[in-house]
Amino acid sequence: MLSRVAENLYWLGRDLERVENIARMAEVSHTVSVESGGTDGDQHAWDAVLAATGSLELYSKAQQDDPLLTPAEFLLLSSANPNSLRRTLVVARALARELREQLSREVWEEINRIYLDVHATRTDFRDFRDGMHAFCDQVRSGVASILGLFDNTVLMDEGRDWFRCGVYLERADMTSRIVDTKYFVLLPTAQDIGGALDRSQWVAVLRSASAWQAFRMTHRGAITGPRVATMLVRSEQFPRSLYFCVRAFRRHFEAASDRTPAGQTVHVARELALLDLDLASVDEAALVQQGVHEFMDGFQGRLIEVDRLVHEHIFHVLPSVA
Amino acid sequence: MSDPFSGYEQLAGPDEMFAPDGTPRPAYSAFAERLGAWSIEHIDGRQRRSEMDLLASGITFTVYQDEAEVDRIFPFSIIPRIVAHDEWTTIETGLQQRVKALNAFLHDVYHDQRCVTDGVIPGEVLFGAAAFNLRMVGFEPPQGVYTHIAGSDLIRDQHGEFRILEDNVRTPSGVSYVLENRRTMLEAVPELFPEGAVSPVTDYPEHLREMLIEVRPEGVAADEARVVILTPGSFNSAYFEHTFLAQQMGVDLVEGRDLIVHDQTVYLRATTGLERVDVIYKRVDDDFLDPLAFRPDSVLGVAGLADAYRSGKVTLANAMGVGVADDKVVYRFVPDFIRYYLGEEPILRNIDTLAAVLPEDLEEMCANLDQLVVKPAGESGGYGLVVGPQASDAELRACEERIRDNPRNWIAQPLQEFSSIPTLLDGALRARRADLRPFALTGNDTWVLPGGLTRVALVEGSYVVNSSQGGGSKDTWVLRPPRASEG
Repeated sequence: MLSRVAENLYWLGRDLERVENIARMAEVSHTVSVESGGTDGDQHAWDAVLAATGSLELYSKAQQDDPLLTPAEFLLLSSANPNSLRRTLVVARALARELREQLSREVWEEINRIYLDVHATRTDFRDFRDGMHAFCDQVRSGVASILGLFDNTVLMDEGRDWFRCGVYLERADMTSRIVDTKYFVLLPTAQDIGGALDRSQWVAVLRSASAWQAFRMTHRGAITGPRVATMLVRSEQFPRSLYFCVRAFRRHFEAASDRTPAGQTVHVARELALLDLDLASVDEAALVQQGVHEFMDGFQGRLIEVDRLVHEHIFHVLPSVA
Repeated sequence: MSDPFSGYEQLAGPDEMFAPDGTPRPAYSAFAERLGAWSIEHIDGRQRRSEMDLLASGITFTVYQDEAEVDRIFPFSIIPRIVAHDEWTTIETGLQQRVKALNAFLHDVYHDQRCVTDGVIPGEVLFGAAAFNLRMVGFEPPQGVYTHIAGSDLIRDQHGEFRILEDNVRTPSGVSYVLENRRTMLEAVPELFPEGAVSPVTDYPEHLREMLIEVRPEGVAADEARVVILTPGSFNSAYFEHTFLAQQMGVDLVEGRDLIVHDQTVYLRATTGLERVDVIYKRVDDDFLDPLAFRPDSVLGVAGLADAYRSGKVTLANAMGVGVADDKVVYRFVPDFIRYYLGEEPILRNIDTLAAVLPEDLEEMCANLDQLVVKPAGESGGYGLVVGPQASDAELRACEERIRDNPRNWIAQPLQEFSSIPTLLDGALRARRADLRPFALTGNDTWVLPGGLTRVALVEGSYVVNSSQGGGSKDTWVLRPPRASEG
């Protein structure tokens, strides 16, 4: 497979996964803020998502120019925010268009459809409350359809593995950011820990990661920060946990690079093996001892390294003539 | 029920669907009967559905309005052009003849240049052609083929005869719309197809693939030949067609940066290493092919590609330097090429053309500017066109100045009242002028796709069908031979 095509499929996976994550997090923030009725929790709920998508500082700046700009609009529809759902989707659709001959007609048309839907949504939507749920729902089911169509209409070859690598890397990154923002942005005061606010925020974290039901199915006891974080890091069964994503990435990477010279693959393979081993050894006590924020920070750094190695040694390498 | 054809007004020049007395022509009779049973509202509904299909399938181009990106489809009309079988036979054999003559001409141009010494064409026309490529002199392309893919534009003139308007042998585009328009028609208006009477077009990519393999370099086995399509990238307006053909043929779509040349051999960069490339269907202009040979500022090309091509280790389709054959001034001489190289009379005639480079043509041109369509030789896509009867005196004076300033760059033709086809616009059928671009593939022999791109001028009274100038397109139905039982 052409290196450029492999790279584009990888990024298509990343961008689509990111679009779905933004929509899901926005939906949760929206419910939380409506429920808390515009108290402090309101702004906090949005700050967490803005931080997780790297848009917090950009938002503060944009808000100075336009005091009426809502976090929802900035996060979802703004063309000025390079991390917004709209902009991410525009990039994904451009990639898909470039990759068109690699995708099935069904996959392409679904990507095109959600792109057209999001494009049709008014950008000056000041009071976005009424349409929020429908909008996010539409985008989420669109991405879910694409992932499903990819599995059911696209050849199970190298390209599909690169696409999946992109999906899982982005998903691991987003899950770790969702947990991290709870500590970083919503940092509870000592007396809050274990209180009602703390608990509701952890439920929001679980819902942001689509993990609320999965948590309840696997944990009978109280909802505590360490238990939630441990599940999202270490679960072998939950398809958005860090451990699950890293192992899936590793599996797809091995399949995708099956015929790539070992001299090229060794760099990524080594990093993945270490990450896999390290995650396997994590438990609640270790996580608490290290500190959830510190752990997530370190994890994100290692994902960045994996991403860099894939580009340097697989996508961008200039092979020698055999 | 309202008659969809009531109030339909024919233009000057023939109407493809109706005879002057308003009765459907024979080729359209079955179609007209079916369409006539529909109300205009129903036809409009089907038209809108086909537009939604095209939007959903993303066959769109992006325009920028008030800083926002808007996706538009190329306007498509569900009333097809229908070509009778015997007329098509003339077009088919005429194109085969023309392509043969153009290839003989190109071979002559890059070898003995007998056409100049024998006075068939003035040397200054030939060597003044921007596309004349010195690197091709003395080079023998595989199978002697230069114009593997050719797409000539035809119009039906006021007397009802199909004539060649221009040849496109560099990178003719539009064939993907031929296939997609057919697909859209089959989905949107299946009831309108007379059963079994329309020639299918879907096997074009298979013919293209087979032809590309036929012209592979010597010494490469047919089942091992690696074919790729070279595209300028996703910002090119024909990019959809590039991906479409790559997908339909099952070949890689590559950009310049995906290829490298080593030891006069072309390789593509794959995740598993380098893989040899044998045939390149290039959709990149010659100027951007190889920064070492042509434009050093080009980032689109592949360094060393021109050299690899000349060494015979890779085939380019079409060959480099073929643009000299579709130069608008050279066009004037193509009927003479047919007589000179093949000893035959042209089956398809040119439009009468004046080339300002010939002194007698220049004077005739300047004396009759208000009745002529003047075209710059170096442009395509309908740019720079001056339509005499529609131009102001000031425009005509400026035009004459430009012609006298650089005669090599101008040709002129009488305004053609070429044929029109009913086209649904704003809920009513209106006559709009249309041309026809069939596609001819040449490997061991020349095959013409039974169909083609019908482009239609959507603006009232317009003669310009180019999509860049607001033109739309239609499906083209080539009728199969009538069965014996039906007489």
